[in-house]
Amino acid sequence: MNRKTQNLKKTGKTGRKSGMYNKVDKNIITQLEKIVGLKNVIVDPEKMVDYSHDEFSLDEIARNPDAVVKPVSTEEIAEICRLANTKKIPVTPRAGATGLCGGCVPAFGGIVVSVERMNRIIEIDMKNQMAEVEAGVNLRDFYAEVEEAGLFFPPHPGDESAMFGGLVATNAGGARAVKYGVIRNYIRGLEVVLPSGNVIRPGGKLMKSSSGYNLLNLFIGSEGTLGIVSHIIIQLMPPPAVLRSLIIPYDNLHDAIETVPLMIKRKILPLAVEFVPREVIVITENMLNKKWPCTQGNTYLLVILDAAGAEEMDRLSETVAEVCLEKGAIDVFVADDPKKQELVLDIRSKMYESIKEYNIETLDIVVPRGEIANHVEKIVEVQNKFGLWLPTYGHAADGNVHTHIMSARLEGGKIIPLSEDDWKEKLNQVRNELYRDCKDRGGMISGEHGIGIVKKDYLPYVIDKEEISLMKGIKHVFDPNNIMNPGKIFD
Amino acid sequence: MNIFVFVKRVPDTESKIRIDRENNTIIEEELNFILSPYDEYAVEEALRVRETVGGKVTVFSIGPDEAKVVLKKALAMGADEAVLIKDDSPEAYDGLRIAKIISRLIKDKYPGYDLLLFGKQSVGADNAQVPAMVAEILGLPQVNVVTKLDIDDNKGTAIREIEGAAEKVSFPLPAVISAQKGLNEPRYETLKGIMMAKRKEIPLISLQDLGLTEEELLPRLELIKMDSPPAREAGKVIEEEPEDAAKKLVEFLHKEAKVI
Repeated sequence: MNRKTQNLKKTGKTGRKSGMYNKVDKNIITQLEKIVGLKNVIVDPEKMVDYSHDEFSLDEIARNPDAVVKPVSTEEIAEICRLANTKKIPVTPRAGATGLCGGCVPAFGGIVVSVERMNRIIEIDMKNQMAEVEAGVNLRDFYAEVEEAGLFFPPHPGDESAMFGGLVATNAGGARAVKYGVIRNYIRGLEVVLPSGNVIRPGGKLMKSSSGYNLLNLFIGSEGTLGIVSHIIIQLMPPPAVLRSLIIPYDNLHDAIETVPLMIKRKILPLAVEFVPREVIVITENMLNKKWPCTQGNTYLLVILDAAGAEEMDRLSETVAEVCLEKGAIDVFVADDPKKQELVLDIRSKMYESIKEYNIETLDIVVPRGEIANHVEKIVEVQNKFGLWLPTYGHAADGNVHTHIMSARLEGGKIIPLSEDDWKEKLNQVRNELYRDCKDRGGMISGEHGIGIVKKDYLPYVIDKEEISLMKGIKHVFDPNNIMNPGKIFD
Repeated sequence: MNIFVFVKRVPDTESKIRIDRENNTIIEEELNFILSPYDEYAVEEALRVRETVGGKVTVFSIGPDEAKVVLKKALAMGADEAVLIKDDSPEAYDGLRIAKIISRLIKDKYPGYDLLLFGKQSVGADNAQVPAMVAEILGLPQVNVVTKLDIDDNKGTAIREIEGAAEKVSFPLPAVISAQKGLNEPRYETLKGIMMAKRKEIPLISLQDLGLTEEELLPRLELIKMDSPPAREAGKVIEEEPEDAAKKLVEFLHKEAKVI
């Protein structure tokens, strides 16, 4: 049973200190209703439960807001902020809520501003090869529209129901970061409602700008603590002519991961390189009733290549195959046609879903690429030490490793759930050991998910005191009343 | 065991098909072409038979030069040889014409076969005629729409789909088999396979080489009109609060759709 739904009734009761804020009273509800319309304000606690959490599994961080509002324009958001700022009411922006760290959880109650109705793709500007979207546009719709226009949006953060507001807030990454970078590299302009209700538009349809401090980039990755992003201008690209996925089985994880730096040394820059353990593949195969291309080996590298033509593709794939086979790969399988590539990607992208039921927390450690093999070895050591299953897979070429701390063991390919007593204490110990290893290797605790509530306590572990104090200073400049998504990143 | 597989290059089932109404053809521009999925099962099955009883797999396709791509794919999967019967005439949707070409080809140029494998139909034309017609012309036993195949030295058994049941058939070799989905899970090409296929020569045979006269090659079918199926009507969306929506839905199902 899913713990989250099992315990939903509890939400709304777990209070945090919110003495510095005012309550949302009847008068404020009436004003909110005036701004967004009667049916776009929710105050029914049962209907607000959906807005009390994100994808993080433990309901101990969940909390109901006092009201959910669904604005449809920048002006409406501005009015909401103006009201909240005057009345000192916390505001939590919310988009697709696919986050994994509680970033859109209203930690102090107050108003949740859901941008779900702002889902218009305003334009795809072919002349500038840019798109402008509202914050509630989700990735699925965006990819479809961009493809229709014959263009390409390279980043691919896992969940396609993620919306642009959240993608910008977390500076989302995804598997293709190794070649094409993260969301930050594609955001050219924003429209942001500041906590004061004032609207600014940093950036624009520009490829370059050296005009003062870069406020645009300050908002990207600020997890909604500086303002609410309402519009986004996005850089697009011409699509790659040819795509090919290579599925490469290995007998052991270490060899698979150690292949990656060798590939990069041979000047191959794949679109994506993922490492996936067979044990998770099997569970996902069973869930989807689909078959992974091969059964050999216990670890796979999934290497996705893009090229300008067939000749170049063959040359790239031959080099990749050479490096892999030298490093002990069993064979190199090819998915060339769209259907097969889709199947492989489908299994890859549903892996999380297949283990989600028992996933307590997904770590998002990023280490220098050369350190991945060692870090993953440490994970296996910690897994054996604590007897918790720590399925780990992810972006082998950009150093971003997702370890799932499970409330289960794995025995003969079967998931054996553990009782809360058996995992609760170990959760912190596992986290601590892995974060220590991350720090020792010069890593960071989040590569693409953000800090939110869940990783807040660990930020000082990897970020210097002085840097955090500068961050707090910046927060104060934008949000002197601390109403904008309070309780996130740092206290 | 000498195994022949007959494959066709067809528009990708995922592609959006556009029709040139003037010429009664599909517009090939921007269209992605693939090895017909049922033919892919046939190739896979041929490779599996070879792996169990030994032998050689030769893949044939009839079509323009572009059809080499699907032959290369079959080679990359592991076929030993591939042959293109070059035919530049437009798609005639005439199974008999193709069956005549295939029968003449193997009678004259490739005697000594044990097993002829086909997809149960090509996607696109979907006539499901060629395997049966070839079997008739050559006087061979045939099992169509096969979901399981076992081959011994000189005989085989197959399971084929029939309405609501499965039928088990045994037959002597040589025989014609057409593959249905579920027969196997086609393997992925290996990179080594793709590279070998790339270097492999594909011999060409022209229709003249087969001594077929123009008269014999004339399609017996005339394509009168080609059109897309009518667009589906948009679904009906009920936008109400759940209680009202349920009522409206029931009313709709009862009064308009008349299904309850």
